[in-house]
Amino acid sequence: MYKYRVSKNSGSGSWVVQRITGLALVVLMIGHYILMHYQPESGHTYEAVLARMQFSWYRIIDLSFLVLGMYHGLNGVWNILRDYKMQPWARISVLSGIILFGLAFVAWGFVIIFSIPYLS
Amino acid sequence: METDTGSQNTHRKPKTFDQKNWISENLNYKKDSGNWAWILHRITGIALIAYLFLHIYSLSPLTEGEVAFNNKMATFASPVFMVIEWFLFAFVLFHSLNGIRIVIVDWADGAKYHKQLYRLSWIVGIILFLAMGAIMFSHELKNLF
Repeated sequence: MYKYRVSKNSGSGSWVVQRITGLALVVLMIGHYILMHYQPESGHTYEAVLARMQFSWYRIIDLSFLVLGMYHGLNGVWNILRDYKMQPWARISVLSGIILFGLAFVAWGFVIIFSIPYLS
Repeated sequence: METDTGSQNTHRKPKTFDQKNWISENLNYKKDSGNWAWILHRITGIALIAYLFLHIYSLSPLTEGEVAFNNKMATFASPVFMVIEWFLFAFVLFHSLNGIRIVIVDWADGAKYHKQLYRLSWIVGIILFLAMGAIMFSHELKNLF
């Protein structure tokens, strides 16, 4: 029936997730901007970061923001690249490159957040 | 009733995409609001993911403690960086507002009024952009007036 169908994955799952993460990012982004730009100098000093990071839920929100943003962004990049015809080897290398790059930067983000000490 | 006349028969050859001149082909086709939304959504999206990498990198001095971090932040407090940050907000705004428009088109019958939504997102975006400028540069504005 589907003579030329190469993949059983229609991409609808990733489409839905892209919309949901996008909406979540809009909400998180509003919070981020209120926090960082409520006043010209708000939130940018080490003391301000340290004070915020004493609340674990704050770290959780920050890291979810990071993971969601990274997923949404790199999935978007992959959606753009999928518009261009690629040989299978090129597809696999580009996709694994994107995933590794994303994982590395997310890991870096985790290291940065958890390097900030809790003041007992 | 006229049947086949000569003039009616001279159909223009349907225009196909010229692969060799893909840049000019892409630049020259007639674009409506949807095309612009699509193009700008891609450009702003690529810029924002590039910025996310830069953002992680620029916050990495947090691991080295207070002095290193505050030194790094001092460079970003310069006027040039603040203007760049302001335009970053323009990219965030376009991508967010157009993203909301896309969700409305996909899930809430927005295809019926997607052009109005596009115009609305520009109006809301410009207002928020100017408001953010007023907040970010409030000290400079106070000195001016």
